[in-house]
Amino acid sequence: MFDKMNQALAFLRDKYGCPAGEIVPGAELSELELPGGKRVPLLPWRVERRFVELRKIVESGTLEEVSTFRFAAFDHGGDPVKSAARELDLAAFLAASPVARVFAVRSGNAACNILARLANGMSASVECGSMLPAGAAALDRHEIIARRGVASDRAVDTQIPQCSIYEWTTDGVATFTDVDTELFGLPNDRIWIVRAAYAALMDPELAPVWTDAARNMARCADAIARSAADNTPVTL
Amino acid sequence: MKPVKIAMMGMTHGHTRKYYQTLLENRKLDWVASCAADARAKEVYELYKTGVPCYLDPEQMFAEHPDIEAVVLASANDRHFSEMQFCAERGVHILSMKIPSFDMDEYDRMIDLVDRAGIVCQIELEMHYNPVVKRLRQEIAAGKLGKLLSIQATNITLSPVWAFPWQGSPEASYGKRIPLAPGDRRFRGGALCDHPHIFDLIRHLTGSEYDTVFAQVAPNLRKELEVEDMLMAAGKLKDGTAFLFDPSWSRLEERLKVPAPGWEIFPKRMEVNLTITGEKGMIQCDCFGPNVYHNGAPNDRYTVQYTYFDEWIGLIDEFVDCIRNGKTPTINLKWHRGTIRCMNACYESVAAGTPVRV
Repeated sequence: MFDKMNQALAFLRDKYGCPAGEIVPGAELSELELPGGKRVPLLPWRVERRFVELRKIVESGTLEEVSTFRFAAFDHGGDPVKSAARELDLAAFLAASPVARVFAVRSGNAACNILARLANGMSASVECGSMLPAGAAALDRHEIIARRGVASDRAVDTQIPQCSIYEWTTDGVATFTDVDTELFGLPNDRIWIVRAAYAALMDPELAPVWTDAARNMARCADAIARSAADNTPVTL
Repeated sequence: MKPVKIAMMGMTHGHTRKYYQTLLENRKLDWVASCAADARAKEVYELYKTGVPCYLDPEQMFAEHPDIEAVVLASANDRHFSEMQFCAERGVHILSMKIPSFDMDEYDRMIDLVDRAGIVCQIELEMHYNPVVKRLRQEIAAGKLGKLLSIQATNITLSPVWAFPWQGSPEASYGKRIPLAPGDRRFRGGALCDHPHIFDLIRHLTGSEYDTVFAQVAPNLRKELEVEDMLMAAGKLKDGTAFLFDPSWSRLEERLKVPAPGWEIFPKRMEVNLTITGEKGMIQCDCFGPNVYHNGAPNDRYTVQYTYFDEWIGLIDEFVDCIRNGKTPTINLKWHRGTIRCMNACYESVAAGTPVRV
């Protein structure tokens, strides 16, 4: 897995002329190891196209006066607390403001629902679950509600993510959503890790930002667990 | 590899601005100059602040930058022949917009010019570098659908004529003023001329050529235009594959002078969708989706904001590879002739009211 990602990163480095670095496994996230050994946590959702476009929609003033983020993410297995912490980082990224307070309710490791307040006053709700059956594609939804306009990565009147290609044959239904010609062939979740590593190499200012954000995510995960255990909001 | 010294000319084509990022970022290129067709095109170009000097006279541009190796001809269709001649005389490689010419004699002279000059001439059909199309070709080539039986494809957009007026001019777009049909006050040169992609794609997907085509125009959505904005085509390939194409300007637009947010009235300003039926199954494909969506500024309308629009990266990569390694582009003048010929046959069918053999 890491070999293929590093091959893809080498391709981009050669093509666009960016400094050396290697993608390596980290404790929680993939990391970028720089010459000299310094490591940068990679936050691939921050370079994923749909979220980059959503952030542009917020930053450009297409939406005016954002009020609320409504996020959801479901998968087969995994830790919904960590998923929720990742979703909160996404909210912080889109809002350009850190998470200030969380209130969480959990059903063991099956589900985790959160209400959060960002430091700039915006509100966020996050629902995460791990009970999709094996083989089911992960689901998510991100909606940003503002005084002027709503933005989302899901089309109106749809409940599940759409795909670019639906293929019906005697083998059943296959779906494909390819997002990157240059890195075609890598699974999308790995494409975003490579793109994150490339972004961090091209913009050294990202390293401290992402390091702080990863630290905040860990604090959020801890706050989520404490809030759910104590049935009380936790201020970060 | 030594970067290719590249320039742009014309700057009046709707795709002009889509080259800026890749020409600036790709290390295999050194974008040295641009040359606008007129003062208005230069004014619009300068809004984008590329930092690349812009001239109004190609002779002056080449005098100032004699090391230019390649040019992107981002101009109106009726300028292509003279610009190709200008480049061929200087041995400069050419990246042409999607319609080199609809005049098949002129088209053949272009082929001759390029052959005699020994230069690369690539035609801009950017769909080939779209990742969804790449997957589609892979699935079909792997035989997942078996022998193809039918292809329905849309290449529908808003009309760019308000920002790029030459696209509403029969002479500038089609090259001549030819009525669509007896008694029809409109002329060739509209939506069909803007949408060659699906006519090209089906040839790649099937490996077959056109046999017959029947086309019909509908009442225009934009009554002011003197070119067609709504039409459909149906026909058969030589291998028996049936097709149905919609290359219309069926999505209304705000009449902006410079493309900007809020251009579209219908939420999705451009779509290329295909339905492909084969002996073993079928595929539905949206080459530009899914995306993200909003109803914010400037018009508070539900709007598709595209998340993938990088076709020009792959297109330029192939162009550079062909120049430096002496290769022939996939979409070269000779290949593309079959696509242009079918588009002309659509106009002939509209005029005749009957199917036309391609």
